[in-house]
Amino acid sequence: MDLPAEEEQPLYSQRPEWADVVPLEQYESVAPLAPIFYTDEYRDATNYFRGIVKSGEMSPRVLELTENIIRQNPGHYSAWQYRYKTLMALKSPLDDELQLMDELAIKHLKTYQVWHHRRLLVQQTRNPGPELEFIANSLQVDTKNYHTWSYRQWILAYFNDDALWSHELDFMESMLESDVRNNSAWHHRFFVVFQSGVRSGDEDRDAVVRRELAFVKERIAIAPNNASAWNYLRGVLDHTKISYCELQAFVLPYSLPQPPLGTPPEVVDLESPLPSKNSQLPCVAAVEFMADIHEAAGGGDLVKATEVGYVLYELGKYLTYRSFGNPWQMSTILYARDTGNTGSRNP
Amino acid sequence: MNAVYWGLTALSIMGHGDALDRDEMVDFVMSCWDEEAGAFSAHPDHDAHLLSTLSAIQILLMQNALDRVDIDRVLKFILSLQKPSGVFAGDAFGETDTRFVYCAVNALSLLGKLHTLDVEKTITYIRHCRNFDGGFGHVAGAESHASQVFVCVAALAILDRLDEVDQPTLCWWLSERQRPNGGLNGRPEKLEDVCYSFWVLSALAILDKLAWIDSSKLEAFILSAQDTESGGIADRPGDMPDVFHTIFGLAGLSLLGYPGLVDLDPVYCMPASIIENLGLRKGWKALQRRTS
Repeated sequence: MDLPAEEEQPLYSQRPEWADVVPLEQYESVAPLAPIFYTDEYRDATNYFRGIVKSGEMSPRVLELTENIIRQNPGHYSAWQYRYKTLMALKSPLDDELQLMDELAIKHLKTYQVWHHRRLLVQQTRNPGPELEFIANSLQVDTKNYHTWSYRQWILAYFNDDALWSHELDFMESMLESDVRNNSAWHHRFFVVFQSGVRSGDEDRDAVVRRELAFVKERIAIAPNNASAWNYLRGVLDHTKISYCELQAFVLPYSLPQPPLGTPPEVVDLESPLPSKNSQLPCVAAVEFMADIHEAAGGGDLVKATEVGYVLYELGKYLTYRSFGNPWQMSTILYARDTGNTGSRNP
Repeated sequence: MNAVYWGLTALSIMGHGDALDRDEMVDFVMSCWDEEAGAFSAHPDHDAHLLSTLSAIQILLMQNALDRVDIDRVLKFILSLQKPSGVFAGDAFGETDTRFVYCAVNALSLLGKLHTLDVEKTITYIRHCRNFDGGFGHVAGAESHASQVFVCVAALAILDRLDEVDQPTLCWWLSERQRPNGGLNGRPEKLEDVCYSFWVLSALAILDKLAWIDSSKLEAFILSAQDTESGGIADRPGDMPDVFHTIFGLAGLSLLGYPGLVDLDPVYCMPASIIENLGLRKGWKALQRRTS
C-alpha cells in the first residue's frame, strides 16, 4: 500500500478539522479470522471513512479522504463508489477529476475500479476526444493492458463518432509496428474492421477483405512465428466464409524449411509474400494451417496427417489436435511421438 | 470473503476442510451481510457485491450452513443486477463483466433458483462475447482471455448450452496456452501463470479435451511454483505464494489426477461430492486420479 508521496500528513485522528467526525473501527462485532496488518495510516483513514459514510456526509473533505484511501488501496471499491456519489452531489468539475485519474490510472493500470470510475466520469462529461490520446499514452506503459484496450473499445462504441473511429487503423498499425505479436492490437483490429458496423469509406466490403488479407499476409511474411497473426488470418477467412484452401499458395512456403543458399529467388507474387530471409522455418502455425487445408479439401488422408504430426513433433512443439478429429489418427501420431517410429513413412 | 472461499476450497481439495474453525468462519461470513442491499460484501461494513455473495454461498454450502441465508433477499439482489443486454453488473456501482454473469448463474444454481433467470437473455450476451478466435472476452468486443473463457464456458455448462461454444476452435486456442516450460498463459504472447492452470484446464475439462495439453509438463510447472519453505503456491516459480494461486494450482492438480487430492468440480470450483449431492453435476471429465 502506497503512502502519500509528499511530507507525512498527520493522521485524521490528529487533525482538529476532523474532530467532529466519529471514527468507526473495523472489527466492532467480530473477531477476525485472518487479521490483516494494516498500517496506522490506512486504519486511521478507513476509520474516518466509515464515520462519514454512517453520517452520510458529502463534502470536499470527503473527496480528500477518499483520494487518500484510493492511493493507499486502489481496490477499495466502496471508497470509489462513495467518491463518485460525492462528486455528483457537489457538482464538482469533472475535468479536474479526470486529470487526477490520469495520474492514478497509470499508477494502478490493472485495477478494475480506476477504469470503471473513468467510464462513469466520461459518461458525464461526454468529451471522448482526449480519452483516445490518454489511452495511447497509457498503452506506452503497458502495451497489452486488458483494461486499457477494453476502455478504448468502449469509448469508440459508446460515442460511435466517425471522427473517433477514423484514426483507429493508423493507431493499430503503429502498435503492430512496435510489436507485431501484440495480441490485443490484432484483436482490436478485428473489432474495428469487422465487428463495429460499416462506416463511410468502407462500404466496399470486398475491398476491405482484400486489404485485410494483404495486411496480415505482409505481417506474417515479416515474422511468421506469430500466433496472433495466424489467428487473425483464420478469423478473417471464417468471418467471410472463404475456404482455407484458397490460401494454399501463400501458406506452403512457410510450412517448409528455408530454401538453401543460392536458390534463385521466386518471382514476386504480391498475393503471396514470401517469408523474410531471417525467419525460422518451417513455421509451426503454417504446418498446422496446411493440415487444416488438407482436412478442408476432403481430409481423412491418414498418411498426410501422420506426416504433418511427425513434423510437428520434430519441431518440439506440443501437438495440437484440432485437425485430427479421428482418435485413430491421433493415436497414430502419439505412437509416432512416443517411439520415434512413423511406420513405413520416411520422416 | 473471496480469500476465505479460496482457503476453504484449497483445504477441502487436500482433504482438510475442517482445518479452520467452522463457527468462526460462518460468523465472519454472516458479519459481511449488507442489510441494506440484502446480500454479502467482501468485508464487514463494505457494500454488497456479486463476487462476495457467490463466495459466501459457496462457503456456507461447504460448511453446511446455508440455512443462515435470507435466500429471497439474495435472489432479489442477484436478479436486480442483470442489464437489458443480458450482462450482469457486480454491484450498484455498475461495472459489468462476464465474470459477474458467471457469479449470478452459479449462485442461482447453488440456491436452486436457476429457473428465475432470463436464460435466453443471458445466453445472448455470452454469445456476443464470443470472438473470432473462439474465445470469450470480459464484455462484448473485448479480447479473448482465459479467465473470461472459463466463466463463459462454465456459465454455459450450468445452463446446458455448450452448443454455443465453437468447440474445435476454442479447444485449440486453449491448448495453445501451454508454453514450452509447461505452464499456461492467458492469451497469446503473454507469460505463464499458475492460476491459468485452473481457468484453462477447467474449460478443457468441461469440454472433455484435457488430453489436448501435456499434463505431466503442466503438473511439473505447478509443483515447481511451490514455496518449499513457507508452503503455498505462487504465480510462477520463485515468486511469493498467495492463497489465490494456491487454490488454483491445487484445483489444476486435482483435475490432472494428482494422487491424494479430492475430486474438484471444474464448473463450480468446489468439491465434486457437494455438487453431485445437489444434483448439479455436468458432463465434465477430469484425468484419472493416480494412486502414487
